[in-house]
Amino acid sequence: MATSAEGLNQLEELKRRTHPIRAIIALVLGVVGLLFAIGLSISFGAANISLGTVWTAVFHFSSDLTEHQIIREIRLPRVLGAALVGACFAVAGSIMQGMTRNPLADSGLLGLNAGAAFMLAVCFAFFPGMSYMYLIMWSFVGAGLGVVIVYGVGSLAKGGLTPMRLVLAGAAVSALLGALGEGIALYYRIGQDLAFWYAGGVSGTKWSHLQILTPWILVAMIGALILSRSITLLSLGEELAIGLGQRTVVIKVWGMIIVLILAGAAVSVVGAVGFVGLIVPHLARYIVGHDYRWIISCSLVYGALLVVLADFTARIINPPYETPIGALIAFIGVPFFLYLARKGGKEL
Amino acid sequence: MTVLEIEHVAIGYSSTLIVDDLSVTIPKGQISTIIGPNGCGKSTLLKAVARVLKTQEGAVYLDGKAIHQLKTKEVAKRMAILPQTATAPGGLTVFELVSYGRFPHQTGFGTLRKEDYEYIHWAIDVTGLKEFSDRPIEALSGGQRQRVWIAMALAQGTDILVLDEPTTYLDLAHQLDVLLLLQKLNKEEGRTIVMVLHDLNHASRFSHFMIAMKNGQLIVNGHPNEVMTKENLQTVFHIDAEMAICPYSANPICLSYQLYERDK
Amino acid sequence: MSHHAFLTASQQKTRKKHFIILGTLIVLILITFVISMNTGVIKLTPLEVLRTLFGQGDAQQQLILFEFRLPRIVVAILVGMGLASSGAILQGISRNALADPGILGINAGAGLMVMLFISFFPSTAAAPVYLLPVLAFIGSGMTAIIIYALSYKRHEGITPMRLLLTGIAVAAGISSAMIVLTLRLTPENYQFVATWLAGSIWGSNWKFVLSLLPWLIILLPFIYSKSRILNVLNLDELTAIGLGASIEKERRWLLAASVGLAGASVSVSGGIGFVGLIAPHLARQLVGAKHQILLPVSALLGGLLVLLADTIGRSILEPSEIPAGIVVAVLGAPYFLYLLARLKE
Repeated sequence: MATSAEGLNQLEELKRRTHPIRAIIALVLGVVGLLFAIGLSISFGAANISLGTVWTAVFHFSSDLTEHQIIREIRLPRVLGAALVGACFAVAGSIMQGMTRNPLADSGLLGLNAGAAFMLAVCFAFFPGMSYMYLIMWSFVGAGLGVVIVYGVGSLAKGGLTPMRLVLAGAAVSALLGALGEGIALYYRIGQDLAFWYAGGVSGTKWSHLQILTPWILVAMIGALILSRSITLLSLGEELAIGLGQRTVVIKVWGMIIVLILAGAAVSVVGAVGFVGLIVPHLARYIVGHDYRWIISCSLVYGALLVVLADFTARIINPPYETPIGALIAFIGVPFFLYLARKGGKEL
Repeated sequence: MTVLEIEHVAIGYSSTLIVDDLSVTIPKGQISTIIGPNGCGKSTLLKAVARVLKTQEGAVYLDGKAIHQLKTKEVAKRMAILPQTATAPGGLTVFELVSYGRFPHQTGFGTLRKEDYEYIHWAIDVTGLKEFSDRPIEALSGGQRQRVWIAMALAQGTDILVLDEPTTYLDLAHQLDVLLLLQKLNKEEGRTIVMVLHDLNHASRFSHFMIAMKNGQLIVNGHPNEVMTKENLQTVFHIDAEMAICPYSANPICLSYQLYERDK
Repeated sequence: MSHHAFLTASQQKTRKKHFIILGTLIVLILITFVISMNTGVIKLTPLEVLRTLFGQGDAQQQLILFEFRLPRIVVAILVGMGLASSGAILQGISRNALADPGILGINAGAGLMVMLFISFFPSTAAAPVYLLPVLAFIGSGMTAIIIYALSYKRHEGITPMRLLLTGIAVAAGISSAMIVLTLRLTPENYQFVATWLAGSIWGSNWKFVLSLLPWLIILLPFIYSKSRILNVLNLDELTAIGLGASIEKERRWLLAASVGLAGASVSVSGGIGFVGLIAPHLARQLVGAKHQILLPVSALLGGLLVLLADTIGRSILEPSEIPAGIVVAVLGAPYFLYLLARLKE
């Protein structure tokens, strides 16, 4: 067996290609950028508020001031929601890409988006007037449904769940759930309501939602960071990972659970904003090399940054209307993706 | 007599040249083997010969004509290529895949004619695949699969066969099997064979002509006796080889070797 | 068939199997055809249908069959054939099991055009809908050209991988433009566009049959004549070149044919994307990867699938209709999943 010797060589290679210093600089810059973007996003809006006021509103809150109220009750939860959603999508995307060794993989592949959209259509059609909270929860259930079907089909298959089979099953399940959702939307004439719901993005986020979502997301994020080393190994190839003594099945199952929690939470809040999970990990890989410990942490920060900025732009571009955040991100994402496709280097 | 002439070729991508100003002539009706360390450009050279890669400078001549100016179909009637990474789509049987070798000789819808069947059946027989003829490719072992690809190249009915590491992934017996088959085709039918091999002893034993490359350049070429020397192996591979004589071909082989002590 | 002598017994058996499959598909289409003729608010017995078809029915029966049901059935079959063939070509040249006409931006481009057009009118009734197929076709053609141009590189031409990636990106961009547009449509217009996007055979009169037919009559024989080339392109690139295929030129022609077929189909049917993905897959399971047989089987399967879907969509929730695209996905996806779970490869 030459595998383990080869594997060690590849690991050496990997070490040489990762750039810890660049990664740390990128992380620090990212965090600073994120904090700045959050501040910016809070201070701009229908009523402009100075950054100083933002500071005092957060750290020396006074309930008598309207500005403080706006910040506390409307803008802060919204911007935190955007940051969380972005971080979730990006981390889920990088886990998917690492585990499937497919640079085009993102959480939509697992039937997550279609599942959430389907469930949302069901809720709109049969339980009109359902509260935001329940809608999010049911979307999450839908996302889980999608993943369970994709995985179920994959694991029933002889020869197990190959990345190719995963992709095909994901496409079929997405088509199925998507069609069902579409059918319901057409029949009950709720398609446009759904579109408005998705266009709203993170605007409806409240503290109570954050309170429920944040613990889950935090746990999943920590899980992702713990898994990251194993994902680096998996990204070199399954056989190699097994050869190096990894229990790949366990890692994959945990990976999927984490992806489900992260992407499921994000999808249920803003709908399928696909490009975040696709581009950010690419960008991260470009900056920090191939070590998933760095890729995942960078994705976390930059995903959050991207969505916060997108949400900010969505608000100011055509006030008082909100531009759909998914469209905005696609506006940045499509050219970037085209550039990657054209460059056609080893990255893609 | 030569069939393939490689004249001052430079091959590579805009900024980096992988092969630079290399000239060599491939003798007709003989087995020629390119050897060299990993990354020396031997596969690249073979791809240029196979017109898969364009040369940046210089040209490859087939029977005196620049290969890029010939119609690709005309080239395919004279020269068959077996790439290293040949992959078949799912659901094809051995017979079907081998029949694709008749592509350059067909027109239109691709109905097989009598002559086509003869070539296909001959190719399947000579590679010992008769009993597998209707099996799907996926159901075959690695060695059998490699023979199917060779059969496809044979069905093409060309005088020249170009093979990129035809023995990779095969066990000892299957490697020999493939090489003996190629030798037989060369001896009995006078086919010209050009290939890349990693195994120096196989290369020496089966070739009439060897081409040793390093860093994209030709180091030495000629009969195995001239190429397989202690000095040459030291230059090309940086190894200190114990040489012996192959009892089957009387050509030199490398008995065992040590890494050459570099002055650090 | 002068060379039967050269075929082994098992090859002859395979050949026979292929003919049986082709025959079965045609019979199934005919059966669905008769059922579909009987489907609708006004019931006709199979006998009445047959009598009317042979010119023996009364005026009302003739009107229903010839002016409403027959053209729709023909359109459904043609659309299915076109989309499935288009998908089979794309999967062949890209060697990617996920390629379907949607990859070339056909659906997205047509959809955007339709949506843009409708958004200019206060209500659907005011819009000259007869222009829609033309516009949809222009939209899909333009998108395909853009994708081709963006994935073309000097010296390298088009690689299938780059084409797929570019297609995904452009389609995603168009979809997000559509999200923005969606919000500005009136509810009535939205409903129209959504139904269109979901893929309903709405262009159901003889004019649409006539606008669709020439494409298929020209392009289907063309792609069959390229079967042999598709076989070779379906191998890896190096082998294809070695066999003497001018891959760049052939790819361009086949892509153009694929765009033509899918564009023409989508222009009268809306976004029935899944047929292009699933029909070639099913066909490959039935008859293997040789395009001489794979292409006709894919086309027939596609025709059958869309006709069946349209018939079901019309009858299941009478008097309202479910778009065929939705029925195709709901029928096709579970079967596809079943195949996926059962197969080794």
